[in-house]
Amino acid sequence: MNRRDVIKNVAMMLGGAFSAPTLMAMNHWEKPIQSHPNGVAFSLTQIQRNIVAEIAELILPKTTAPNDVSPGAKDVGVPAFIEMMMKDCYLQPEQLSFMEGLVKMEQVNFLELNDNERKGILKYLEQETKAEMKARQMKQTKMGDNDDHEDIKKVAKGLPFWRLIKELTLLGYFTSEEGIKASFEYVQIPGKVENIKLKPNQKSYAY
Amino acid sequence: MYLNIKATKNNTFDAIVVGSGMTGGFAAKELTEKGLNVLMIERGREIKHPQDYDTAMKQPWEVEHRGKVTAHSAEELWANKRFGNLANDESGSFFTNDKDNPYIEKRPFDWIRAYHTGGKSMHWGRQSYRFNKEDFEANAKEGIGIDWPIRYDDLAPWYTYVEKFVGVSGQKEGLDVLPDGHFLPAMPLFAPEVHFKKMMLEKFNRPVTVGRVANLSQPQEWHTKLGRASCQYRNKCVRGCPYGAYYSSLSGAIPAANLTKRLSMLHDTIVAEILYDEQKQRATGVRVINQKTNQVEEYFAKIIFLNAGAMNTAALMLNSKSNRFQNGLGNDSDQVGRNIMDHHLGVGATATVEGFLDDYVYGQRPNALYIPRFRNWGNDKQSYLRGFGYQGGASREGWSRGVNADGFGGDFKQSLTKPGQWTIGFGGFGEVLPNPENRMYLDPTRKDKWGVPMIVFDAAFGENEIMMRKDIMNSAMEMMDAAGFKNITGYNRPEVHLGLGIHEMGTARMGRDAKTSVLNAFNQVHAVKNVFVTDGAAMTSSSCVNPSITYMALTARAADYAVKALKKREL
Ligand SMILES: Cc1cc2nc3c(=O)[nH]c(=O)nc-3n(C[C@H](O)[C@H](O)[C@H](O)COP(=O)(O)OP(=O)(O)OC[C@H]3O[C@@H](n4cnc5c(N)ncnc54)[C@H](O)[C@@H]3O)c2cc1C
Ligand code: SF4
Repeated sequence: MNRRDVIKNVAMMLGGAFSAPTLMAMNHWEKPIQSHPNGVAFSLTQIQRNIVAEIAELILPKTTAPNDVSPGAKDVGVPAFIEMMMKDCYLQPEQLSFMEGLVKMEQVNFLELNDNERKGILKYLEQETKAEMKARQMKQTKMGDNDDHEDIKKVAKGLPFWRLIKELTLLGYFTSEEGIKASFEYVQIPGKVENIKLKPNQKSYAY
Repeated sequence: MYLNIKATKNNTFDAIVVGSGMTGGFAAKELTEKGLNVLMIERGREIKHPQDYDTAMKQPWEVEHRGKVTAHSAEELWANKRFGNLANDESGSFFTNDKDNPYIEKRPFDWIRAYHTGGKSMHWGRQSYRFNKEDFEANAKEGIGIDWPIRYDDLAPWYTYVEKFVGVSGQKEGLDVLPDGHFLPAMPLFAPEVHFKKMMLEKFNRPVTVGRVANLSQPQEWHTKLGRASCQYRNKCVRGCPYGAYYSSLSGAIPAANLTKRLSMLHDTIVAEILYDEQKQRATGVRVINQKTNQVEEYFAKIIFLNAGAMNTAALMLNSKSNRFQNGLGNDSDQVGRNIMDHHLGVGATATVEGFLDDYVYGQRPNALYIPRFRNWGNDKQSYLRGFGYQGGASREGWSRGVNADGFGGDFKQSLTKPGQWTIGFGGFGEVLPNPENRMYLDPTRKDKWGVPMIVFDAAFGENEIMMRKDIMNSAMEMMDAAGFKNITGYNRPEVHLGLGIHEMGTARMGRDAKTSVLNAFNQVHAVKNVFVTDGAAMTSSSCVNPSITYMALTARAADYAVKALKKREL
């Protein structure tokens, strides 16, 4: 999928065209990004932190519907968790692609957009990422035969920004104390293992 | 030499056991229970069971990086990291720092180590399967390597003995390919696994069983006596079990040896050399280095059991040079360090399962399903030799399915609180053939920080293994297809090397002939009768089943022989 197709798809998903500000924002999408010099420690500006927090909250928002009262990503400390994890657990390729994604969000003035426009941007990002992940995966399954060793090393490009922030948002949220307790039936010591029948609307167990 | 007399006296025991892991622990238990005063020497730090399992009871949110390995840890534990997530906050501090304990890779070798009380027995997956009759005969029949000096029937009573003590949960199946043992009640198969089992019997006549695993599904009186309790099904075993519910040297053998009051233990003490007396033609003791203070000391005993793990045991023998043994103790055959085997893994398939949506599971089974070897068995004949078994299982997807799925927002969040579809996956453990060119040796110049020569690995999979891997992947996909599973994806990780199976073995093999082997039928070094090697180094072939229960059976058998020989004054 090229970029125009992606935009068309997303527009369709959103039930129409993008709003003018989103489209304007999109025009900045492919502005060249200042690359970060190698070896610089990973750190975020306050604006970037805010962007991370807003995106995490859009992925897992606080909900107050009668059938689902549960905290959001911000309530359970996901934004700080994401930054810590990017810093501690990822190497430069991922850190660079994470920064690249954030810089793009700055370029489209993410924090100035309204809720719908932000969601449009994320949908766009999601579609773009899907295409990229698919290409990566094809490359990896092709590796089945033990012979193109060299090829796999060439996938040095970090995982895409959306994939990173989504995974870390989910991980941070669903392993946080409030997140676990609001989302699942938390069992610390099961004491047995057995086959059971699922009751209607039963939540997953977490251990 | 007058000065040494007192030291000699204080430092003298009936037996010395090198290493406190899976096999060292068992050796110490057997020897002390048979009345010997035993010194067990462990190079790593002391871990007290169960109070030192400091992460065992942490809740998910108390684990800082939530199961991921930090970049720092990945760098320090560079070899360990190749396995996966062992170096994370939950278990990383129990594995060996590879930067501090480096080794040399002439060809890549994935060496996963745990230098501390209990060794790798603290971390094993606990899968426990007997070798079958054929496993002991195949080398001779096919002209591969050398013949085992023992047969299944020699080991069978010792399997039973070890299984009883250890406690193995499993299902009797009456199969020649996977001999039954002494089992505690089996754990359940899950709904799609039961379906899979049925389909495999119908379509391929291939049996499927639940894993045989050293977790106490129903502790017996001899288990509780040691403070071991029933499994609580949390499946956090890799952190160490506060209930002693899975078997380790720490939860089982060492407490049993301690009951005899005849066990002494040294920690932080690297055995660097076995001392050999040219006149007596016997080993007399060991030279050790304290890993913290660098202090050197000697200890003496009538018999010595080497249980440092196959690679370290061979290194220790190679480093023990004397006039008589210029290439290393007991190395007349030049086979010490050669014939490295392992089980190759990182190859299999995954799939999604349609249906079974009202089936779910309470608790976490610290176990898997097992598909015994079916290749080159019965009427099956392949272009490669030997076979493989699969381990894996089915589970319902949890929240992590959201990572690669479309969507975000409130409904998305709520949908992830419910179990997702069933998925299934299994991977093969393949037999590796012995090959003298697959070897490790000591570097002639480079030494570690204690002045002990560094190990060089020079080994790789051969053609037989590579052919087998393709079949492992394809057969897994074929079986999943036959079971009606969907989205079948095969994998054959190209970056897997020897070692990654963590079943490294073969470097001081047993045999009938001293010219081609290092140990005799009782794990005695051919030319140094009071030295016994009963860890994985002793293995003459690898089978495809997880080996530790076999190592322990060999250990118990050798200890029995050694003590009888001592009493008859043959040693
Ligand atoms: C994650 C994982 C999963 C596994 N799963 C299974 C499984 O499901 N089934 C199975 O059968 N096996 C499994 N294994 C393998 C199993 O752990 C080993 O086969 C077993 O522990 C080997 O026993 P050992 O006594 O030879 O070595 P170890 O248990 O490693 O013990 C060796 C000990 O010797 C010490 N030592 C080394 N050198 C010296 C020296 N020079 N001086 C003094 N002490 C020394 C070490 O510090 C260590 O404590 C697994 C291993 C791991 C890590
Ligand atoms: S699953 Fe059983 S053996 Fe493993 S840690 Fe939990 S209680 Fe212990």
